[in-house]
Amino acid sequence: MSGKSIIIIGGGASGVLLAAHLLRSADPDLRVTLIEKQGQFGQGLAYSALHRNHRVNVPARGMSAFADDPDHFWRWLASREPGKHASSWTFVPRRVYGAYLESVLRDAGASMPGRLRVLVEEVEALHERPDGVEVLLANGSRLTADQAVLAVGHETQPARGKGLAVRAGSSRDTPLDPDAPVMILGSGLSMVDAWVSLAGGQHRGPIMVVSRNGLVPRGHHDVPPVSIDAADVPFGTSLTYLTAWFRDLVADTIAQGGDWRSVVDGLRPYNQRLWQSWPERERRQFLRHVRPWWNIHRHRLPPDLHQGLVGAIANGQVELVAAEFVGIESRDGGVRATIRPRGTSGRQVVDVARVYDCGGVSVDIRASGNPVIRQLVQSGAARPDAMSIGMDVSEDCALIAADGSVSQRVRVVGPLTRGRFFEIEAVPDIRLQCASLAKALT
Amino acid sequence: MLTKKGKYGLKALAALSHQPHGTLMGVAELAQANAIPKKFLDAILADLRNAGFVRSKKGKLGGYGLARPPAEIMIGHVVRVLDGPLAPIPCASRTRYVPCDDCDVATCQVRHLMLDVRNAVAEVLDKTSLSQMAALGGADMLEQKLPI
Repeated sequence: MSGKSIIIIGGGASGVLLAAHLLRSADPDLRVTLIEKQGQFGQGLAYSALHRNHRVNVPARGMSAFADDPDHFWRWLASREPGKHASSWTFVPRRVYGAYLESVLRDAGASMPGRLRVLVEEVEALHERPDGVEVLLANGSRLTADQAVLAVGHETQPARGKGLAVRAGSSRDTPLDPDAPVMILGSGLSMVDAWVSLAGGQHRGPIMVVSRNGLVPRGHHDVPPVSIDAADVPFGTSLTYLTAWFRDLVADTIAQGGDWRSVVDGLRPYNQRLWQSWPERERRQFLRHVRPWWNIHRHRLPPDLHQGLVGAIANGQVELVAAEFVGIESRDGGVRATIRPRGTSGRQVVDVARVYDCGGVSVDIRASGNPVIRQLVQSGAARPDAMSIGMDVSEDCALIAADGSVSQRVRVVGPLTRGRFFEIEAVPDIRLQCASLAKALT
Repeated sequence: MLTKKGKYGLKALAALSHQPHGTLMGVAELAQANAIPKKFLDAILADLRNAGFVRSKKGKLGGYGLARPPAEIMIGHVVRVLDGPLAPIPCASRTRYVPCDDCDVATCQVRHLMLDVRNAVAEVLDKTSLSQMAALGGADMLEQKLPI
Protein backbone atom coordinates (compact mmCIF):
# COMPACT_ATOMS: atom_id res chain seq x y z
CA MET A 1 0.00 0.00 0.00
CA SER A 2 1.38 3.40 -0.89
CA GLY A 3 1.20 6.22 1.65
CA LYS A 4 2.62 9.46 0.37
CA SER A 5 2.20 11.27 3.66
CA ILE A 6 2.97 9.52 6.90
CA ILE A 7 2.70 10.79 10.46
CA ILE A 8 4.87 9.11 13.07
CA ILE A 9 3.66 9.63 16.63
CA GLY A 10 6.61 9.37 19.00
CA GLY A 11 10.17 10.54 18.36
CA GLY A 12 12.06 8.07 20.52
CA ALA A 13 14.26 5.32 19.12
CA SER A 14 11.42 3.51 17.31
CA GLY A 15 10.06 6.68 15.71
CA VAL A 16 13.47 7.93 14.59
CA LEU A 17 14.47 4.53 13.20
CA LEU A 18 11.24 4.35 11.23
CA ALA A 19 11.64 7.90 9.88
CA ALA A 20 15.20 7.13 8.82
CA HIS A 21 14.09 3.96 7.03
CA LEU A 22 11.17 5.70 5.33
CA LEU A 23 13.38 8.53 4.10
CA ARG A 24 15.69 6.06 2.39
CA SER A 25 12.94 5.85 -0.23
CA ALA A 26 13.76 7.63 -3.50
CA ASP A 27 10.19 8.93 -3.79
CA PRO A 28 10.40 12.76 -3.93
CA ASP A 29 6.72 13.08 -2.97
CA LEU A 30 7.05 11.23 0.31
CA ARG A 31 6.24 13.38 3.34
CA VAL A 32 7.12 12.24 6.86
CA THR A 33 5.98 14.13 9.94
CA LEU A 34 7.55 13.07 13.22
CA ILE A 35 5.80 14.27 16.36
CA GLU A 36 7.47 14.13 19.76
CA LYS A 37 6.22 15.80 22.89
CA GLN A 38 9.56 16.07 24.70
CA GLY A 39 11.42 18.04 22.09
CA GLN A 40 14.42 15.75 21.99
CA PHE A 41 14.35 13.39 19.08
CA GLY A 42 15.85 9.96 19.49
CA GLN A 43 15.79 10.41 23.23
CA GLY A 44 12.73 8.60 24.40
CA LEU A 45 12.52 6.78 27.67
CA ALA A 46 15.53 4.65 26.81
CA TYR A 47 18.03 7.12 25.40
CA SER A 48 17.52 10.27 27.41
CA ALA A 49 19.22 8.88 30.51
CA LEU A 50 21.69 11.34 31.94
CA HIS A 51 24.11 9.36 34.03
CA ARG A 52 27.16 8.07 32.18
CA ASN A 53 26.54 4.64 33.66
CA HIS A 54 23.08 4.49 32.20
CA ARG A 55 24.46 2.42 29.40
CA VAL A 56 23.32 0.70 26.26
CA ASN A 57 23.10 -2.96 27.17
CA VAL A 58 24.03 -4.09 23.67
CA PRO A 59 27.61 -3.77 22.38
CA ALA A 60 28.14 -0.92 19.91
CA ARG A 61 28.60 -3.33 17.04
CA GLY A 62 24.97 -4.44 17.39
CA MET A 63 23.47 -0.96 17.56
CA SER A 64 23.53 0.36 13.99
CA ALA A 65 20.28 2.03 12.95
CA PHE A 66 20.38 -0.06 9.78
CA ALA A 67 20.60 -3.85 9.73
CA ASP A 68 22.06 -3.73 6.20
CA ASP A 69 24.85 -1.39 7.35
CA PRO A 70 25.87 -3.01 10.65
CA ASP A 71 28.90 -0.74 11.24
CA HIS A 72 26.97 2.51 10.89
CA PHE A 73 26.90 3.26 14.61
CA TRP A 74 30.45 2.09 15.16
CA ARG A 75 31.76 4.42 12.42
CA TRP A 76 29.81 7.32 13.92
CA LEU A 77 31.15 6.52 17.40
CA ALA A 78 34.74 6.06 16.26
CA SER A 79 34.72 9.42 14.48
CA ARG A 80 33.05 11.21 17.38
CA GLU A 81 35.26 9.71 20.07
CA PRO A 82 38.45 8.73 18.21
CA GLY A 83 40.70 6.36 20.14
CA LYS A 84 38.32 6.07 23.06
CA HIS A 85 37.00 2.60 22.31
CA ALA A 86 39.38 -0.29 21.79
CA SER A 87 36.82 -2.27 19.83
CA SER A 88 33.18 -2.25 18.81
CA TRP A 89 32.50 -4.52 21.80
CA THR A 90 31.88 -1.49 23.97
CA PHE A 91 28.82 -0.36 25.92
CA VAL A 92 28.31 3.37 25.48
CA PRO A 93 26.29 5.70 27.69
CA ARG A 94 22.71 5.80 26.47
CA ARG A 95 22.81 9.57 26.00
CA VAL A 96 25.57 9.00 23.43
CA TYR A 97 23.26 6.65 21.58
CA GLY A 98 20.51 9.27 21.82
CA ALA A 99 22.85 11.73 20.12
CA TYR A 100 23.54 9.13 17.42
CA LEU A 101 19.83 8.71 16.75
CA GLU A 102 19.49 12.48 16.53
CA SER A 103 22.23 12.56 13.92
CA VAL A 104 20.61 9.68 12.02
CA LEU A 105 17.42 11.73 11.89
CA ARG A 106 19.27 14.87 10.82
CA ASP A 107 21.00 12.99 8.00
CA ALA A 108 17.76 11.40 6.90
CA GLY A 109 16.08 14.80 6.75
CA ALA A 110 18.99 16.38 4.89
CA SER A 111 19.18 13.68 2.21
CA MET A 112 16.21 15.19 0.36
CA PRO A 113 15.17 18.50 1.95
CA GLY A 114 11.51 19.18 2.52
CA ARG A 115 10.41 15.60 3.03
CA LEU A 116 10.83 15.45 6.81
CA ARG A 117 8.98 17.69 9.23
CA VAL A 118 9.47 17.42 12.98
CA LEU A 119 6.98 18.79 15.47
CA VAL A 120 7.31 19.21 19.20
CA GLU A 121 3.76 18.64 20.39
CA GLU A 122 1.70 16.18 22.33
CA VAL A 123 -0.75 14.09 20.33
CA GLU A 124 -4.13 13.85 21.98
CA ALA A 125 -6.14 11.84 19.51
CA LEU A 126 -5.85 9.88 16.29
CA HIS A 127 -8.83 9.23 14.02
CA GLU A 128 -8.93 6.99 11.00
CA ARG A 129 -11.15 8.32 8.19
CA PRO A 130 -11.95 6.60 4.90
CA ASP A 131 -9.62 8.96 3.05
CA GLY A 132 -6.82 9.33 5.59
CA VAL A 133 -5.86 9.81 9.21
CA GLU A 134 -6.42 12.87 11.36
CA VAL A 135 -4.19 13.71 14.30
CA LEU A 136 -5.33 16.12 16.98
CA LEU A 137 -2.57 17.97 18.83
CA ALA A 138 -2.66 19.36 22.35
CA ASN A 139 -2.38 22.90 20.95
CA GLY A 140 -5.71 22.36 19.23
CA SER A 141 -4.46 22.04 15.67
CA ARG A 142 -5.15 19.11 13.38
CA LEU A 143 -2.92 17.29 10.93
CA THR A 144 -3.96 14.89 8.22
CA ALA A 145 -2.01 12.25 6.36
CA ASP A 146 -2.45 9.04 4.40
CA GLN A 147 -0.99 6.83 7.11
CA ALA A 148 -0.08 7.07 10.78
CA VAL A 149 2.36 5.00 12.80
CA LEU A 150 2.31 4.83 16.58
CA ALA A 151 5.88 4.69 17.87
CA VAL A 152 5.12 5.60 21.43
CA GLY A 153 7.42 3.03 22.94
CA HIS A 154 7.55 2.59 26.66
CA GLU A 155 5.02 3.51 29.26
CA THR A 156 6.14 6.22 31.63
CA GLN A 157 3.54 5.83 34.36
CA PRO A 158 4.35 3.61 37.33
CA ALA A 159 2.09 0.58 37.03
CA ARG A 160 1.93 0.00 40.76
CA GLY A 161 1.90 1.93 43.95
CA LYS A 162 -1.25 4.09 43.75
CA GLY A 163 0.65 7.16 42.64
CA LEU A 164 3.05 6.85 45.60
CA ALA A 165 5.71 4.83 43.80
CA VAL A 166 8.04 6.83 41.59
CA ARG A 167 9.77 6.12 38.29
CA ALA A 168 13.50 6.63 38.62
CA GLY A 169 14.59 9.71 36.71
CA SER A 170 11.09 11.16 36.44
CA SER A 171 10.21 14.67 37.62
CA ARG A 172 8.91 13.18 40.87
CA ASP A 173 12.28 11.60 41.57
CA THR A 174 13.40 14.53 43.73
CA PRO A 175 16.62 14.51 45.80
CA LEU A 176 16.61 12.19 48.81
CA ASP A 177 18.37 12.05 52.15
CA PRO A 178 21.51 10.09 51.11
CA ASP A 179 21.24 7.84 54.17
CA ALA A 180 17.56 7.03 53.82
CA PRO A 181 16.45 3.49 53.02
CA VAL A 182 14.70 3.02 49.67
CA MET A 183 12.90 0.17 47.97
CA ILE A 184 13.04 -0.75 44.30
CA LEU A 185 10.27 -2.90 42.82
CA GLY A 186 11.58 -5.09 40.03
CA SER A 187 15.07 -6.48 39.55
CA GLY A 188 15.69 -6.12 35.82
CA LEU A 189 17.59 -3.55 33.79
CA SER A 190 15.37 -0.67 34.99
CA MET A 191 16.31 -1.55 38.55
CA VAL A 192 19.97 -1.35 37.55
CA ASP A 193 19.30 2.13 36.15
CA ALA A 194 17.74 3.21 39.43
CA TRP A 195 20.63 1.71 41.37
CA VAL A 196 23.11 3.53 39.11
CA SER A 197 21.30 6.84 39.76
CA LEU A 198 21.30 6.25 43.50
CA ALA A 199 24.86 4.94 43.79
CA GLY A 200 26.17 7.54 41.33
CA GLY A 201 24.32 10.22 43.30
CA GLN A 202 26.27 9.17 46.40
CA HIS A 203 23.32 7.47 48.03
CA ARG A 204 24.58 5.59 51.08
CA GLY A 205 21.34 4.24 52.54
CA PRO A 206 20.21 0.65 52.09
CA ILE A 207 18.48 -0.28 48.83
CA MET A 208 15.99 -3.13 49.08
CA VAL A 209 15.27 -4.69 45.70
CA VAL A 210 11.98 -6.58 45.70
CA SER A 211 11.03 -8.95 42.91
CA ARG A 212 9.11 -12.18 42.55
CA ASN A 213 12.21 -14.34 42.20
CA GLY A 214 15.01 -12.19 43.54
CA LEU A 215 17.05 -12.61 40.37
CA VAL A 216 19.32 -10.00 38.80
CA PRO A 217 20.57 -9.68 35.22
CA ARG A 218 23.75 -11.52 34.26
CA GLY A 219 26.74 -9.85 32.67
CA HIS A 220 27.96 -9.89 29.08
CA HIS A 221 31.00 -11.79 27.82
CA ASP A 222 32.44 -11.27 24.38
CA VAL A 223 31.54 -14.67 22.91
CA PRO A 224 30.20 -15.41 19.44
CA PRO A 225 26.65 -16.75 19.07
CA VAL A 226 26.35 -20.44 18.20
CA SER A 227 25.20 -21.11 14.68
CA ILE A 228 21.59 -22.28 14.67
CA ASP A 229 19.36 -22.82 11.63
CA ALA A 230 15.59 -22.64 11.69
CA ALA A 231 15.62 -26.38 11.01
CA ASP A 232 17.30 -26.92 14.39
CA VAL A 233 14.74 -25.07 16.48
CA PRO A 234 11.80 -27.01 17.95
CA PHE A 235 9.04 -24.55 17.09
CA GLY A 236 5.50 -25.13 18.26
CA THR A 237 6.35 -27.54 21.07
CA SER A 238 5.41 -27.38 24.72
CA LEU A 239 7.43 -25.18 27.02
CA THR A 240 8.71 -28.26 28.84
CA TYR A 241 10.02 -29.69 25.58
CA LEU A 242 11.62 -26.44 24.48
CA THR A 243 13.33 -25.76 27.81
CA ALA A 244 14.70 -29.32 27.86
CA TRP A 245 16.05 -28.80 24.32
CA PHE A 246 17.53 -25.46 25.32
CA ARG A 247 19.20 -26.84 28.44
CA ASP A 248 20.67 -29.74 26.43
CA LEU A 249 22.08 -27.33 23.89
CA VAL A 250 23.59 -25.16 26.64
CA ALA A 251 25.10 -28.26 28.29
CA ASP A 252 26.57 -29.43 24.95
CA THR A 253 27.95 -25.98 24.24
CA ILE A 254 29.56 -25.70 27.66
CA ALA A 255 30.94 -29.25 27.37
CA GLN A 256 32.68 -28.14 24.19
CA GLY A 257 34.25 -25.21 26.01
CA GLY A 258 31.58 -22.70 25.03
CA ASP A 259 29.40 -20.29 26.97
CA TRP A 260 25.63 -20.26 27.65
CA ARG A 261 25.49 -16.71 26.29
CA SER A 262 26.37 -18.07 22.86
CA VAL A 263 23.22 -20.20 22.91
CA VAL A 264 20.96 -17.37 24.10
CA ASP A 265 22.37 -15.11 21.37
CA GLY A 266 22.30 -17.84 18.72
CA LEU A 267 18.61 -18.40 19.32
CA ARG A 268 17.84 -14.68 19.16
CA PRO A 269 16.94 -14.57 15.43
CA TYR A 270 14.23 -17.17 16.09
CA ASN A 271 12.68 -15.71 19.24
CA GLN A 272 9.83 -14.01 17.39
CA ARG A 273 9.04 -17.18 15.44
CA LEU A 274 9.18 -19.30 18.58
CA TRP A 275 6.78 -16.99 20.37
CA GLN A 276 4.39 -17.02 17.42
CA SER A 277 4.56 -20.81 17.11
CA TRP A 278 3.12 -21.27 20.59
CA PRO A 279 -0.55 -21.53 21.46
CA GLU A 280 -1.85 -18.95 23.90
CA ARG A 281 -1.51 -21.33 26.82
CA GLU A 282 2.21 -21.78 26.20
CA ARG A 283 2.74 -18.02 25.91
CA ARG A 284 1.00 -17.44 29.21
CA GLN A 285 3.06 -20.13 30.89
CA PHE A 286 6.21 -18.63 29.46
CA LEU A 287 5.35 -15.18 30.80
CA ARG A 288 4.45 -16.56 34.18
CA HIS A 289 7.14 -19.16 34.79
CA VAL A 290 10.03 -18.79 32.38
CA ARG A 291 10.30 -15.10 31.64
CA PRO A 292 12.08 -14.08 34.87
CA TRP A 293 14.85 -16.60 34.14
CA TRP A 294 14.86 -15.87 30.44
CA ASN A 295 15.18 -12.12 31.03
CA ILE A 296 18.25 -12.28 33.27
CA HIS A 297 20.08 -14.34 30.65
CA ARG A 298 18.77 -12.57 27.58
CA HIS A 299 18.94 -8.92 28.79
CA ARG A 300 22.46 -8.71 30.16
CA LEU A 301 24.60 -5.98 31.65
CA PRO A 302 27.94 -4.56 30.54
CA PRO A 303 30.52 -6.57 32.54
CA ASP A 304 31.77 -3.67 34.67
CA LEU A 305 28.24 -2.65 35.70
CA HIS A 306 27.45 -6.27 36.52
CA GLN A 307 30.53 -6.45 38.72
CA GLY A 308 29.53 -3.25 40.46
CA LEU A 309 26.07 -4.59 41.14
CA VAL A 310 27.39 -7.90 42.44
CA GLY A 311 29.73 -5.91 44.69
CA ALA A 312 26.88 -3.78 46.04
CA ILE A 313 24.93 -6.94 46.83
CA ALA A 314 27.97 -8.50 48.50
CA ASN A 315 28.67 -5.46 50.68
CA GLY A 316 25.02 -5.25 51.67
CA GLN A 317 24.09 -1.91 50.18
CA VAL A 318 21.72 -3.71 47.84
CA GLU A 319 19.53 -6.36 49.43
CA LEU A 320 17.70 -8.76 47.11
CA VAL A 321 14.35 -9.89 48.42
CA ALA A 322 12.17 -12.47 46.68
CA ALA A 323 8.71 -11.26 47.53
CA GLU A 324 5.46 -10.08 46.11
CA PHE A 325 4.60 -6.40 46.40
CA VAL A 326 1.31 -6.09 48.26
CA GLY A 327 0.72 -2.40 48.80
CA ILE A 328 1.94 0.99 49.77
CA GLU A 329 0.71 3.83 51.92
CA SER A 330 1.85 7.30 52.72
CA ARG A 331 3.68 7.92 55.98
CA ASP A 332 5.40 10.86 57.61
CA GLY A 333 8.51 11.63 55.59
CA GLY A 334 8.18 8.60 53.35
CA VAL A 335 6.10 5.58 52.51
CA ARG A 336 5.25 2.25 54.11
CA ALA A 337 5.41 -0.71 51.75
CA THR A 338 3.93 -4.12 52.40
CA ILE A 339 5.47 -7.19 50.81
CA ARG A 340 4.86 -10.94 51.03
CA PRO A 341 8.15 -12.85 51.02
CA ARG A 342 8.17 -15.79 48.63
CA GLY A 343 7.08 -19.11 50.05
CA THR A 344 5.35 -17.53 53.04
CA SER A 345 1.88 -16.26 53.73
CA GLY A 346 3.12 -13.64 56.17
CA ARG A 347 3.35 -9.99 55.35
CA GLN A 348 6.28 -7.77 56.00
CA VAL A 349 6.03 -4.03 56.45
CA VAL A 350 8.96 -1.89 55.37
CA ASP A 351 9.28 1.85 55.99
CA VAL A 352 11.34 3.61 53.37
CA ALA A 353 11.88 7.12 52.10
CA ARG A 354 10.77 6.17 48.60
CA VAL A 355 9.58 3.24 46.52
CA TYR A 356 10.80 3.16 42.94
CA ASP A 357 8.70 1.19 40.49
CA CYS A 358 11.07 -0.51 38.08
CA GLY A 359 8.63 -3.23 37.17
CA GLY A 360 8.49 -4.82 33.78
CA VAL A 361 8.00 -2.81 30.64
CA SER A 362 4.94 -4.83 29.71
CA VAL A 363 1.89 -2.69 30.12
CA ASP A 364 -1.84 -2.77 30.20
CA ILE A 365 -2.54 -0.14 27.56
CA ARG A 366 -5.98 0.54 29.06
CA ALA A 367 -4.21 2.32 31.91
CA SER A 368 -1.71 4.11 29.68
CA GLY A 369 -0.32 7.48 30.68
CA ASN A 370 -0.33 8.49 27.02
CA PRO A 371 -3.50 10.35 25.97
CA VAL A 372 -3.53 9.08 22.39
CA ILE A 373 -3.28 5.46 23.54
CA ARG A 374 -6.11 5.97 26.00
CA GLN A 375 -8.23 7.65 23.32
CA LEU A 376 -7.64 4.82 20.85
CA VAL A 377 -8.57 2.19 23.43
CA GLN A 378 -11.62 4.08 24.67
CA SER A 379 -12.93 4.71 21.15
CA GLY A 380 -12.52 1.02 20.30
CA ALA A 381 -9.90 1.67 17.61
CA ALA A 382 -7.31 -0.29 19.60
CA ARG A 383 -7.28 -3.11 22.11
CA PRO A 384 -4.72 -4.91 24.26
CA ASP A 385 -3.24 -8.10 22.81
CA ALA A 386 -4.38 -11.43 24.24
CA MET A 387 -1.68 -11.37 26.95
CA SER A 388 -2.30 -7.71 27.82
CA ILE A 389 1.37 -6.89 27.46
CA GLY A 390 1.00 -4.38 24.64
CA MET A 391 -1.24 -3.42 21.74
CA ASP A 392 -2.92 -5.91 19.43
CA VAL A 393 -1.47 -5.71 15.92
CA SER A 394 -1.50 -7.84 12.79
CA GLU A 395 1.55 -9.63 11.40
CA ASP A 396 2.35 -6.51 9.36
CA CYS A 397 1.97 -4.23 12.39
CA ALA A 398 -1.49 -2.86 11.53
CA LEU A 399 -3.57 -1.77 14.51
CA ILE A 400 -6.39 -4.17 15.43
CA ALA A 401 -9.61 -2.61 16.74
CA ALA A 402 -11.78 -3.82 19.61
CA ASP A 403 -14.06 -5.58 17.10
CA GLY A 404 -11.11 -7.40 15.53
CA SER A 405 -11.00 -5.36 12.33
CA VAL A 406 -7.56 -4.53 10.99
CA SER A 407 -6.72 -0.90 10.34
CA GLN A 408 -5.86 0.13 6.79
CA ARG A 409 -4.09 3.31 7.84
CA VAL A 410 -2.69 2.98 11.36
CA ARG A 411 0.34 0.88 12.25
CA VAL A 412 2.32 0.35 15.42
CA VAL A 413 6.06 -0.05 15.74
CA GLY A 414 8.43 -0.90 18.59
CA PRO A 415 7.95 -2.39 22.05
CA LEU A 416 4.17 -1.87 22.06
CA THR A 417 3.89 -4.69 19.52
CA ARG A 418 5.40 -7.20 21.95
CA GLY A 419 2.15 -9.17 22.21
CA ARG A 420 2.65 -10.36 18.64
CA PHE A 421 6.44 -10.37 18.36
CA PHE A 422 7.68 -10.59 21.97
CA GLU A 423 11.34 -10.05 21.03
CA ILE A 424 10.85 -6.41 20.04
CA GLU A 425 12.43 -4.43 22.86
CA ALA A 426 15.86 -3.62 21.49
CA VAL A 427 17.31 -1.79 18.51
CA PRO A 428 18.53 -4.93 16.64
CA ASP A 429 14.92 -6.11 16.35
CA ILE A 430 13.20 -2.73 16.06
CA ARG A 431 15.41 -1.70 13.13
CA LEU A 432 14.31 -4.83 11.22
CA GLN A 433 10.68 -4.10 11.99
CA CYS A 434 11.17 -0.51 10.78
CA ALA A 435 12.83 -1.71 7.58
CA SER A 436 9.96 -3.98 6.65
CA LEU A 437 7.35 -1.43 7.67
CA ALA A 438 9.08 1.25 5.59
CA LYS A 439 9.04 -1.11 2.63
CA ALA A 440 5.31 -1.70 3.06
CA LEU A 441 4.53 2.01 3.44
CA THR A 442 6.54 3.49 0.57
CA MET B 1 15.33 -38.55 5.93
CA LEU B 2 11.84 -39.19 7.28
CA THR B 3 12.17 -42.31 9.40
CA LYS B 4 9.44 -44.84 10.05
CA LYS B 5 8.93 -43.13 13.38
CA GLY B 6 8.27 -39.81 11.71
CA LYS B 7 5.99 -41.31 9.14
CA TYR B 8 3.96 -43.32 11.67
CA GLY B 9 3.64 -40.29 13.90
CA LEU B 10 2.31 -38.14 11.07
CA LYS B 11 -0.16 -40.86 10.04
CA ALA B 12 -1.41 -41.16 13.61
CA LEU B 13 -1.84 -37.40 13.90
CA ALA B 14 -3.72 -37.29 10.59
CA ALA B 15 -6.04 -40.02 11.85
CA LEU B 16 -6.60 -38.12 15.12
CA SER B 17 -7.33 -34.93 13.20
CA HIS B 18 -10.34 -36.63 11.57
CA GLN B 19 -11.85 -37.39 14.98
CA PRO B 20 -14.55 -35.05 16.22
CA HIS B 21 -13.04 -32.45 18.57
CA GLY B 22 -12.77 -33.67 22.13
CA THR B 23 -13.09 -37.39 21.39
CA LEU B 24 -10.24 -39.77 22.15
CA MET B 25 -9.05 -42.74 20.13
CA GLY B 26 -7.58 -45.87 21.66
CA VAL B 27 -4.01 -46.79 20.76
CA ALA B 28 -4.99 -50.29 19.59
CA GLU B 29 -7.58 -48.91 17.22
CA LEU B 30 -5.21 -46.21 15.97
CA ALA B 31 -2.46 -48.79 15.43
CA GLN B 32 -4.66 -51.23 13.58
CA ALA B 33 -6.33 -48.65 11.32
CA ASN B 34 -2.95 -47.31 10.20
CA ALA B 35 -0.97 -50.53 10.15
CA ILE B 36 1.48 -49.36 12.82
CA PRO B 37 2.99 -51.78 15.39
CA LYS B 38 1.23 -50.90 18.64
CA LYS B 39 4.32 -50.83 20.88
CA PHE B 40 6.07 -48.49 18.49
CA LEU B 41 3.00 -46.27 18.35
CA ASP B 42 2.91 -46.12 22.17
CA ALA B 43 6.42 -44.71 22.19
CA ILE B 44 5.67 -42.26 19.38
CA LEU B 45 2.53 -40.97 21.09
CA ALA B 46 4.45 -40.50 24.34
CA ASP B 47 6.93 -38.27 22.50
CA LEU B 48 4.13 -36.32 20.85
CA ARG B 49 2.43 -35.84 24.19
CA ASN B 50 5.62 -34.66 25.83
CA ALA B 51 6.01 -32.09 23.05
CA GLY B 52 2.45 -30.86 23.49
CA PHE B 53 0.86 -32.07 20.24
CA VAL B 54 -1.44 -34.74 21.68
CA ARG B 55 -3.14 -35.29 25.01
CA SER B 56 -4.09 -38.57 26.57
CA LYS B 57 -6.38 -40.04 29.14
CA LYS B 58 -5.88 -43.33 30.91
CA GLY B 59 -8.49 -45.94 31.62
CA LYS B 60 -11.24 -47.77 29.80
CA LEU B 61 -12.55 -44.69 28.03
CA GLY B 62 -9.06 -43.34 27.59
CA GLY B 63 -6.97 -42.83 24.52
CA TYR B 64 -5.33 -40.03 22.53
CA GLY B 65 -6.59 -36.84 20.97
CA LEU B 66 -5.01 -33.73 19.48
CA ALA B 67 -3.99 -31.17 22.08
CA ARG B 68 -4.36 -28.32 19.60
CA PRO B 69 -6.50 -27.63 16.53
CA PRO B 70 -4.97 -29.39 13.48
CA ALA B 71 -4.70 -26.09 11.63
CA GLU B 72 -2.21 -24.92 14.30
CA ILE B 73 0.00 -28.01 14.26
CA MET B 74 2.76 -27.60 11.70
CA ILE B 75 4.22 -30.73 10.12
CA GLY B 76 7.78 -29.43 10.41
CA HIS B 77 7.34 -28.94 14.14
CA VAL B 78 6.19 -32.55 14.56
CA VAL B 79 8.97 -34.00 12.43
CA ARG B 80 11.64 -32.18 14.45
CA VAL B 81 10.30 -33.81 17.60
CA LEU B 82 10.15 -37.31 16.14
CA ASP B 83 13.16 -37.33 13.83
CA GLY B 84 15.40 -34.52 15.07
CA PRO B 85 16.51 -31.43 13.21
CA LEU B 86 15.54 -32.48 9.68
CA ALA B 87 19.06 -33.47 8.70
CA PRO B 88 19.27 -35.44 5.45
CA ILE B 89 22.68 -36.77 6.55
CA PRO B 90 23.91 -36.85 10.16
CA CYS B 91 26.50 -34.10 9.74
CA ALA B 92 23.99 -31.64 8.25
CA SER B 93 22.81 -30.18 11.54
CA ARG B 94 24.03 -27.28 13.64
CA THR B 95 22.82 -28.42 17.02
CA ARG B 96 22.86 -32.22 16.63
CA TYR B 97 25.92 -32.41 14.49
CA VAL B 98 27.45 -35.86 14.07
CA PRO B 99 30.78 -35.80 12.20
CA CYS B 100 31.53 -38.11 9.28
CA ASP B 101 34.90 -39.88 9.49
CA ASP B 102 35.81 -39.12 5.88
CA CYS B 103 35.66 -35.34 5.68
CA ASP B 104 36.13 -31.91 7.18
CA VAL B 105 33.11 -29.92 8.40
CA ALA B 106 34.09 -26.57 7.01
CA THR B 107 35.06 -27.68 3.54
CA CYS B 108 32.79 -30.64 2.76
CA GLN B 109 30.69 -29.52 -0.21
CA VAL B 110 28.16 -32.30 0.32
CA ARG B 111 27.48 -31.09 3.85
CA HIS B 112 27.00 -27.50 2.69
CA LEU B 113 24.51 -28.59 0.07
CA MET B 114 22.66 -30.79 2.54
CA LEU B 115 22.37 -27.88 4.99
CA ASP B 116 20.65 -25.93 2.23
CA VAL B 117 18.44 -28.93 1.48
CA ARG B 118 17.28 -29.22 5.05
CA ASN B 119 16.49 -25.52 5.28
CA ALA B 120 14.39 -25.87 2.14
CA VAL B 121 12.67 -28.92 3.61
CA ALA B 122 11.98 -27.05 6.85
CA GLU B 123 10.55 -24.16 4.84
CA VAL B 124 7.96 -26.47 3.20
CA LEU B 125 7.13 -28.51 6.28
CA ASP B 126 6.82 -25.46 8.56
CA LYS B 127 4.26 -23.92 6.22
CA THR B 128 2.13 -27.07 6.07
CA SER B 129 -0.37 -27.66 8.85
CA LEU B 130 -1.72 -30.98 9.97
CA SER B 131 -5.14 -30.10 8.58
CA GLN B 132 -3.58 -29.33 5.19
CA MET B 133 -1.69 -32.61 5.19
CA ALA B 134 -4.72 -34.57 6.38
CA ALA B 135 -6.70 -33.21 3.42
CA LEU B 136 -4.17 -34.61 0.96
CA GLY B 137 -4.38 -38.11 -0.46
CA GLY B 138 -7.10 -40.50 0.59
CA ALA B 139 -9.68 -42.16 -1.64
CA ASP B 140 -10.79 -38.92 -3.36
CA MET B 141 -7.28 -38.15 -4.51
CA LEU B 142 -6.90 -41.67 -5.88
CA GLU B 143 -9.85 -41.15 -8.18
CA GLN B 144 -8.59 -37.80 -9.35
CA LYS B 145 -5.18 -39.11 -10.20
CA LEU B 146 -6.34 -42.31 -11.87
CA PRO B 147 -9.40 -41.43 -13.89
CA ILE B 148 -11.10 -44.54 -15.14
